[in-house]
Amino acid sequence: MLQPLRLIRIFIETSVRNETAYNANFWVGLLNSLLNFGTGLLGVIVLFGQIDAVGGWSFGSTLAVLGVYLTVGAVRDLFISPSLDSLTGMDGEVWVGTFDFTLLRPVDTQFLASVRRWRLFALFDLLLGLDVLAAAVTRLGTTLTAIHLITFLVTLAAGTLTLYAILLAFSGLVFWSPGFLFSWVFDGIFQMARYPVRLYPGALRLLLTWIIPVGVITTIPAQALTGELSPVVLIGSLGFSIALLVGASLLFRGGLRRYASASS
Amino acid sequence: MNHRGGLALIEQTWLSWMQHRSFFFLLAFGWMVPPLIYLFVWSTAAGGGTIGGLTRGEFVAYYLVLIVVNQLTYAQTNWTVGDLIRDGRLSKLLLYPMSPLYNTLATELAGKVVYMIFAIPITAILALVLRPELHLSAGQVIAFISALGLAWLLRFFWGYWLALLAFWITRADSLLALQDALIFLLAGQVAPVALLPGVLKTAAIALPFRYMAGFPVEVLTGQAAGVDLVTGFALQIGWTAAAIMLYLALWRRGVRHFTAIGG
Repeated sequence: MLQPLRLIRIFIETSVRNETAYNANFWVGLLNSLLNFGTGLLGVIVLFGQIDAVGGWSFGSTLAVLGVYLTVGAVRDLFISPSLDSLTGMDGEVWVGTFDFTLLRPVDTQFLASVRRWRLFALFDLLLGLDVLAAAVTRLGTTLTAIHLITFLVTLAAGTLTLYAILLAFSGLVFWSPGFLFSWVFDGIFQMARYPVRLYPGALRLLLTWIIPVGVITTIPAQALTGELSPVVLIGSLGFSIALLVGASLLFRGGLRRYASASS
Repeated sequence: MNHRGGLALIEQTWLSWMQHRSFFFLLAFGWMVPPLIYLFVWSTAAGGGTIGGLTRGEFVAYYLVLIVVNQLTYAQTNWTVGDLIRDGRLSKLLLYPMSPLYNTLATELAGKVVYMIFAIPITAILALVLRPELHLSAGQVIAFISALGLAWLLRFFWGYWLALLAFWITRADSLLALQDALIFLLAGQVAPVALLPGVLKTAAIALPFRYMAGFPVEVLTGQAAGVDLVTGFALQIGWTAAAIMLYLALWRRGVRHFTAIGG
């Protein structure tokens, strides 16, 4: 148990050293974070400047969905995406063949592929996300009980696990089609999680709930925060995220066996 | 200027782009998502009634036209211009017997065709499913085509002069990210400009961004009519002229300033 944690610490340290070498990137990163935060927030403000509620979602609860979206997105940018993205694409490890060196390391390949690169700047995004969540709670006007907070944290963890599982599965597909940028497809769909799934029409809502469950990632924790979550959905979402994680790991491992390096 | 060489370059670029369609289809998909989200959000919010005078079907029509207009006017080549200057590849282009602007135009035109092959069928399918409400007159269509042409010119040259700042600033591409965010907010993506709250609405009408995407859509759907239409066109033409002049001034100074390393 100690060894993985020590490895993670080393990965974080090397990532920080790599990133701090480029000063200008800090300001660019800051600008991009603020733009992502500002456009997201203004989107909700503009919408609720015209209406009071839509499909049972008020300003406060929609803000909570945005807060969860930003928070989970920050965790994704912290290590999940930087690590997994180096596998895919035309300059990715699987296409170029440098994945050989990753396979040779004496640790579990899925673990190594998932935690080896960190972008600590995402902690700033995390702060912005938590800010939006705090604003949402004050807007809602309900008192936050301990049970709400615990269910919120549990569903948030389940949502993050679901996101990791989906990204892992998409990265695993690279072994079947090395050049295709599956993560780009997912990026587009993940953006839809900014708003409650209830706001999307029937077929799309089903797609976002069951096929590519990004709606589950943000809508359910927001419901937990507002106290609208039933125990069935709570247990269901937990089981769902674990099942998804097992499925994605199996897919990734199946993909590993297909990897035959690159010629020349 | 060598126009025949320019045309040959355009044809060659288009053919090479068609070999990598799936990559560009993915890019087009990514650009389509934000307007699509707000299409759903606003049409659900409108339900059976109206918001700001727009019905559900009118929101659908507005956003479906916006998806196509946004892809037609999005100048993704502005990003590559900065790269060419930064890594010195521009020196090769400067040796060609024609302006490097042709190079960018070739990529731009090739891109438009590839993106439309993706965007038009998808929008058509969405239109069949979502039943937009759109009443067209010949006058609106003619005004729309002129507004669309100007919007493309404006967005292209506005991004181009920003990209040319790469002659002096190393990370000028972050200004393009800022421009994209402003277009999202002020060019009618997050909401039709008429629905924006006070300050944002005033800013949207005065600044150039609305005239890069939202304005042509408003012209076609009839939201911009009468005085709005005339002042809109006047501002659009004014900003386009300003963008072209900025491009010319920065290009002349920039090329003299430019020194590539190695080669």
